[in-house]
This record gives sequence, structure tokens and C-alpha cells, in this order.
Amino acid sequence: MRRHLASAKSTLGFGAGWKWSKIGIEILVALGSLLMLAPIMLIFITAFKPDAEIIHFKSILPEQWTLGNFREILGSPEEIPIFRWVANSLFISSMVTILVLTVTSMAAYALARLSLPGKKWIFMLIVATLMIPGQILLVPIYLILEWIHWIDTPLALIVPAGASAFGVFLLHQFFLSIPRDLEDAAAIDGCSKFGIFWHVVIPLSRPALATLGIFTFVGSWNDFLGPLVFLDSVDKYTLPVGIALFQTSYYAEYALTLAASVICTLPVLIVFLLFQKHIIKGIALTGLKE
Amino acid sequence: MRLLRLYRVFFSAAVLFSLFLLIVVVGCDRPSDHVTIRFWNGFTGPDGRTMLGLVRQFNQDNPDVRVLMQRMEWPSYYNKLFVAGLGQRAPEVCVIHTDVLERFIQAGFVYPVDNFLKGEHGIDVNDFDENVWKAVEKESKHYALPLDVHPLGLYYNKTLFCEAGIVDASGNAKPPINQQVFIDAALKITRDLDGDGTIDQWGFVYTWFRTNVYAMMAQWGGPIFNNEGNTCLLNSPENVQALQFCVDLIHKYQVAPPPENYDAWIGFRQGKIGMAFEGIYMLADLEKQTDLDYAGSPIPKLGKVKATWASSHNLCIRSDLDEDKQVASWRFIKYLTDHSVDWAKGGQIPVRKSLRNSEAFHSLEIQNEFANQIPYVHYMPRVPYIFEFYSEFDLAIEKALRGSATPKAALDVATENINKVIERHKRLFSESRTHGDEQ
Amino acid sequence: MGMSNKMRQFTWSGYMFLVPYLLLFSSFLILPLIYGLALSFCQWEILSPAPPRFVGWANYQEALNSEYFWKAFWATFRFVLMAVPIIVSSALLISCGLNQVTARNRQSFYRAAYFLPTLISISVAGILWRWFYNNEFGLFNAFLADWGLKVPWLTEVSVAMKSIVLMTLWWTVGGSVIIFLAALKQIPDQYYEAASIDGAGTFHRFLYITLPLLRPVLLFVVVMSIIGSFQVFGQTFMMTRGGPELSTRVLVQYIYETAFTNYRMGYAAAMSWLLFLAIAVFSIIQFRLMRER
Repeated sequence: MRRHLASAKSTLGFGAGWKWSKIGIEILVALGSLLMLAPIMLIFITAFKPDAEIIHFKSILPEQWTLGNFREILGSPEEIPIFRWVANSLFISSMVTILVLTVTSMAAYALARLSLPGKKWIFMLIVATLMIPGQILLVPIYLILEWIHWIDTPLALIVPAGASAFGVFLLHQFFLSIPRDLEDAAAIDGCSKFGIFWHVVIPLSRPALATLGIFTFVGSWNDFLGPLVFLDSVDKYTLPVGIALFQTSYYAEYALTLAASVICTLPVLIVFLLFQKHIIKGIALTGLKE
Repeated sequence: MRLLRLYRVFFSAAVLFSLFLLIVVVGCDRPSDHVTIRFWNGFTGPDGRTMLGLVRQFNQDNPDVRVLMQRMEWPSYYNKLFVAGLGQRAPEVCVIHTDVLERFIQAGFVYPVDNFLKGEHGIDVNDFDENVWKAVEKESKHYALPLDVHPLGLYYNKTLFCEAGIVDASGNAKPPINQQVFIDAALKITRDLDGDGTIDQWGFVYTWFRTNVYAMMAQWGGPIFNNEGNTCLLNSPENVQALQFCVDLIHKYQVAPPPENYDAWIGFRQGKIGMAFEGIYMLADLEKQTDLDYAGSPIPKLGKVKATWASSHNLCIRSDLDEDKQVASWRFIKYLTDHSVDWAKGGQIPVRKSLRNSEAFHSLEIQNEFANQIPYVHYMPRVPYIFEFYSEFDLAIEKALRGSATPKAALDVATENINKVIERHKRLFSESRTHGDEQ
Repeated sequence: MGMSNKMRQFTWSGYMFLVPYLLLFSSFLILPLIYGLALSFCQWEILSPAPPRFVGWANYQEALNSEYFWKAFWATFRFVLMAVPIIVSSALLISCGLNQVTARNRQSFYRAAYFLPTLISISVAGILWRWFYNNEFGLFNAFLADWGLKVPWLTEVSVAMKSIVLMTLWWTVGGSVIIFLAALKQIPDQYYEAASIDGAGTFHRFLYITLPLLRPVLLFVVVMSIIGSFQVFGQTFMMTRGGPELSTRVLVQYIYETAFTNYRMGYAAAMSWLLFLAIAVFSIIQFRLMRER
């Protein structure tokens, strides 16, 4: 643990005498983080304002704190099945994350470490597809999903997401940067390829896996176009699409949208904070750092 | 290690769940004693809640039919509807605006309603407003049942009017009825309240450019297309004049701020704007602004004739349904149109003359005012390439209103591009016709 | 049991690692891609009942001659040129600053703060910033009014795209910060200690230790940012819908409208492939410039 404190101090090479610069940097960082948080806090605060007050902006804090917006959203479960949407979003995002982590980690390991003829070309092909604008795949994928009757089921959102080129790319780079010694040691000890993968590489890659996990989860959570096109039933919607119901093409019902945004953001916030602990633990327990 | 075990558990659970889901989805064929009708529309927001109430009521009153309403925001709605139609997943009943109807008619997705009108659950055609009914007609068949009409009308701020002294004999705010009075009123209301050199209170504001300018063009009487519908005449002199007037309001008379599109509506809600032309559907939004004293009236005659823009929500039936679904769909549609006064409460105007004469409707003040315009409402041109038309139209009027092009130049460019689109469509459809002949 | 058998065994189980992914990849990426490519050489306008018809390069020619295509392309390009340097350098600076914070829980807090905006869905973020940027009642102008300023954030051609970049910075910088931070933490302290013993100053340490060691990750972040920025759509769609005067109508929005609103599938497919070409060229250039020696 002490090593880590030392490393943080010396990353940018400050010695003992530069305490004030460190404080200065931290102040800047703190200010920046406040700027990042301010809009989100605004969502939370403004959600407690009645609609008329939002339009007629007088001050940041509500003159009249009201639970009316939340009541309207939560109070009509048939029109606005918001808990259903939260459940759908949670389920789909979790499944996507697990699928992506499993499938891409194996693929990335194979491409980074195992000797396979043609793997360079496969990798380049995978990375090349990153440049494909997702929107153009929408209609072909829709037609395929339609053909196998997956439209309006969660499968339509979960399975295609497993083809994450981003995941393979990210993990590939990280796997490359792990020193081979540990893997070679395990191989000499008679470990199978999968054994090496499972017992050596995965534990070492916790930060990368956690990072990919977060990105995948958040990406799936916030996906708007996918659920919009592939889901028909309102009670199967995910949160972003559900929230969009509060807008008409003429104007936005700011009050309800903000209240819904609060409900939408809270779970992800909680999940992220939970994951954060794992990232830290992963770093602290990493064999190499000892 | 714990994390990995968690992963394993999650993964197996996921696989099991997916299998379960697959079985449920693919294998299940629930026997039902009722007909299920899927009803799609774009009614998000307050009108959506009104419609849901109506749907629920119908389901209660008709236990042998179950209507499932799905809604999504209008822009995506039409895209989705069309793609669903392609994949044969279109809903049994859907709502289509009049201007978009042509596309769906041409693609063969909607079914004529004429037969149902005479049948068991018939409706008297004469009860509908003529121009609204005609708007859904093609080759003497009617492809939808209009549910309502939502015209553009004048919303005005009574407080600002009284302050500026624009009142009638009994001291009530008096909405303008012609160009002179309109400009006068706007000039009186446009003021710099705090003396800082910028105007804080405007007489007029442009909310949705498209409808505002189109209404003006209708008032100046310019044609958009020629009679055969194969040449665009958007840059004809009357249209240029109409657009010039719109531009003058901003740059010459300076009674309207430089344009900002629909969010400018908020200025009216904030009480900073004297007048705005908007649809009746904005009423639900206005009603939330309890500290605003507003009223509605027909839009003034700023051009040569009285005219305003309108669109309608039309109820359509899918074209390839079997008989019991058709009957059930029609019963639902009839229910909705018979209850269109309830629908009106959400901020719409029924197109059944008998219903408009009812006590219940008369109590809806602003709807009544706006309804006076029905005899002279103008719909957008009915062309299948309507969205491409809109792109050009919107861009041209935006350029003119912002002052980055003269009305004539902007409309010239739009006309040229729209004519290219017409060309392309002609070629496309003549080719498909020869294709059909070959078969 | 010679070398050849072992080699075969070696590759067989190796491919097993790849198979699940490749299955998904080919069904949901390659297959639709090929379909899209085929489509780009056809004329298929769903409004007409005519089936797809082979037209060769016609769609590509139309795009390259179209004023709207180039306008949309230029809008995207402007965005990329502004967004990528700003966001990547900001992320780098922020993560270095974050790495300096010794107190572990404070660092976690700050990191969460920078990352939080990426959790916000585009529908929410779009509405929020549209409110911020509104001329009449927006938050920013409400504050600026005290200084007598009123900025036309989204309504002036010269300002609109910059406002979108600012919003994108807030919305996406956190992602890159997390990646950089994870990579910074992997740099062994011995290197820095050794360098400082040798008398290297802060800036030198940054240039000669941090940056080179970050190179693979930096490359990754830059390339991903370029690719992502070329595909910008959500922000402009939600906040300006392409206005004012089409100045923020990025290529993806134009493609989307062409495909899903005007139903010109073939033409949209061709434009997507042109966009892909642009992204590929740009990324390869970046890749080459930054590749590990």
C-alpha cells in the first residue's frame, strides 16, 4: 500500500518540496469535477420544480419544492411503466455486459497470445469494422432479426451487442501489455491454454475487464436507436426510449423528462460506484504490483 | 475469485433465461377469446394520456376486443411504421397525419374505409367537414378516417394587450383581424423594458417556421405545385411576397426576434411575447402556465385571403387484415371518432360537425375559436416525397428568415431541388410500372 | 506425436477461443455489412414497389456530386477536427491531475465525477444542454445576462458546432479519463524514481516516460475518438436537428434521414460506405503516425 502512495507522488516527479503544487493541482481537479457534476446536480434539483417554474427560470433552487413530477411519473404505471423500463434496462444491460466480457476476452486472448494462422488479418478485420457507422447496419440487422422472430424480445438487443469490436480491440491492447513471464511459467507448470487464460490472464486484467464492463454496461444502458427500432411494446422499452415518450415533436415536457432522468440515472450511478470498488481492489491485488 | 464465480453464475443464469425467453416467445400461441388490435400513434405527452384514457374506456366497454396502444415520438414513428409495414409487422390501426398519408397509400399499407361507413357501424359522411374529408381521398376512395383537425391559430397575451391599450369597447384584449391592426399591435407591444438597448418584450415570435410561413403563403394565394402535380411552383411571385412579409416582420418592422424555432414558444409562456401562431395542440402546454392570461382566436388576415395551416390525425386500417380483425378495428375507430369531444379536451378539434355543436365542445373556449377557421384550412401538399419537400422548404424559409438569403433566391433553390426530386420519382415509378408490365 | 500434431492441436483449441465471438461477428456485423455493400450498388427506394435494381456506381456518383453530401461531410469533419484534439488532450491532462491525488477516496470521488456525465443517456443530455443553450430562457444566458451578454449558442452558424463540441466534451471526456488513468497506474514507479534520481524535471519525466509508455493506450484513445467523432449523431440530432441552416447536419444524420425518412436505401448505403472510407483513411494515417516503433 505504501508503494502506491509513493508512486502517486512521483508520477509527475514531485518531491517533498512541491506540496503546494500538488494542492494546486488537486484544487484544479476538484473544480473540474464540480463543473462536470453541476449539470447532473441541476437535473436532480430541477426535477423538484413545477413545470411553470422551469419555464420561468428565476433561480437555481426551486422556490416551491414539489414531488409532483415524480408523482405523475410513478403514479400511472399503466401509462408510464417506469419500473418495468428500469427492470428491462437493468436486465438487458447486465446480460450484454456478461456476454461481451465473456466472448471478447476469449477472442482478444486468442488474437493477442495464441499463435493462429491468419490472426493478424482477423484482428485487422475486427478493428476495421469499428469504423462502420452503426446506423447503416440498422436495417439489415432489423431484417435479419425479423426473420428469426427476435423483434420485440430482449434477445434482439442482447445478442447482436455481443459482436463488440471495441471490446476485442481494448482487451487485445491490454493483453499485449501483460508480461509473458507469468503465462510462460504457468505453461511450463503444465497448465492448459484455457487454464492459463482463466487463472493467470483474467486476474491480471481486472482493471481492463472492469473498464470494458463499465463501458459496455453504460453503452447498452444508454442505447437509444436499438431499442427504438427493435422493440415494439411499450412495456418492453428500455429507459431512454421510455423517457423520450415525454417529448412530443413540438416541445419537451421538461419537468417530467427531468424527473424521469433522475430515476434513469440513479441505478447506473449505484452500479458504477459498486464497480469502482472492484477496480481499486483489482489494482491493489494485482500480482505484478507486489 | 469471487468476481469470477459471480460471472459464472450470471452467465449460466443468462443462458437459462434466454432459453426460457426463446421458448416463451417462439413457442407460445396464447388462445384468446378476444381479438387483439394493436394501435400505434405518436401521442406522447398530454394528448397521449388523453388517448390512453379513451383506449381504456373502449376496452372496458367492449370485452371481446382488446386494444393495445403503443406510442413513440412522431419523428421516429413514421420511420418505424413504414419499416414495420415492410416486415409485415404493421399495427392493425394507426394514426397518420394527412400530409404523410400519401406515402402510405402509395405503398399500399392502408385500406379504404368507404365500405365500413355504410355497414353496421356506419357513420354519416356528411357529418365530416368537407375539406378534411376530401384530404384523405384518392381516386374516389377514402383511405383513413379523420379524427381531428389541428389548425394554426393565434394565441395572444391578454395582459400585454391591455397594457398596450389594444382593447375593445369593454376593455377586453382585442385580437387583430387584418394586417394593419396586427402590425400596429405588434409595434405597440415590442418594447425595451429595462432600457438596456435590447428588446425584452416582443409583439410576435416565430415558433414553428414551417407552419407559420405556409399559412402566410396560403393567405397570399400562391400555388405550390401546378395542377398536374408534376412541377413545383414554390418560387411563384405570391409565395415570394408572402415570405417577404414574414421576413419584414423581423427585419423591417422589427416586431419579432431573430428566429429560434420551437423553443421560442417558451417566450410566450414566460409572458414576454404578445402573439404567436401555433397549433391547437399547444393548448395543453399553455394550460400548465397558470400565471399567464392568454386567449386564442383565428389568425388575422395578413395576406389577400383568409387561410391557415392545418393538419389532421387520421385513423388508418392496415391493408391485409382478415375479417374479424377488420371489424374489430373499425369498431375501435368508430368509438374514437364518436368520442372526439373527449379527445378535444386534450387540445384537438373534432371534425364531426354534430359533435362540435354540442354543449361540451362549446365550453372549450379556445378550441371553439380555432375551429372557426376550419372552412378555410390548408393542408400541406399531398405528395409521397413529402419529407424531401420539407427539407427543401424548411431550409429555404430558414435562410430567408435569418436573412442569409433573399426570399426569391431561397425559394428558387428549393424549387429547383424539389423539381429534381419530382423527376426522380417519375422515373422511379415509370420504371416500376414497366417492371410490372414485364411480369 | 511429432511437431505437426502438436501444432494442429495448438491451433484447434486456439480457434475455440475465437469461435463464439466470430459467430456473433459474422452474423451481426459481416453479414449486414455485405448486404449494405450490395445495396449501395442498387437503387432501392422503398416508396416504390420496384425491387432493388443494380445501378453500378450511380449512387456514389450522386453523392460525390451532391452539395448536401459535401456540406454534411464538412460538418462532420469540422466536428472531428475540433473535438478529437480537445477531448483527448483534456482527458490526458485530467487523468494526470487525477493520478496526482494521493488520497484514494478523494481520487475515486473525482474520477467518478468526471465519468458520471457519460452515464447520462443522450436523450437526457440532449434536452439538458438544449435548455442550457437556449437563447431566451437557457441557463447559460440567464447567468450571462448579468454581464449584459447573450450568446446565440445554437442559433448562429458560427457558434453552433462549437457549442456541440463543448457539450460533447462534458459528455464523453470521462470515458477517456478512465482509460488513461488505468494505463497511468500501470506505469511502474521505479521508472520515475530512477529518472528523478538522474535529475529529470516534471516535464521531462512526462515527455520521456509517461507519454512513450502510454503510447499504445494513447493510440487507442485517439483512434477511437476519431472513429467515434466521425459518427457523431446523437448530439446534433437532439440539440439542433442539423440546424442552423444545416450547418450542424452531420453526415450520419444525413444518411439516417436518407434511409429512414426518404427511404432511399441504396443511396444511403453508398454514402455510408463513403463515410467508412473517410474514417478508414483518417484512422490509418493516425495509426501509422503513432504506431509503436
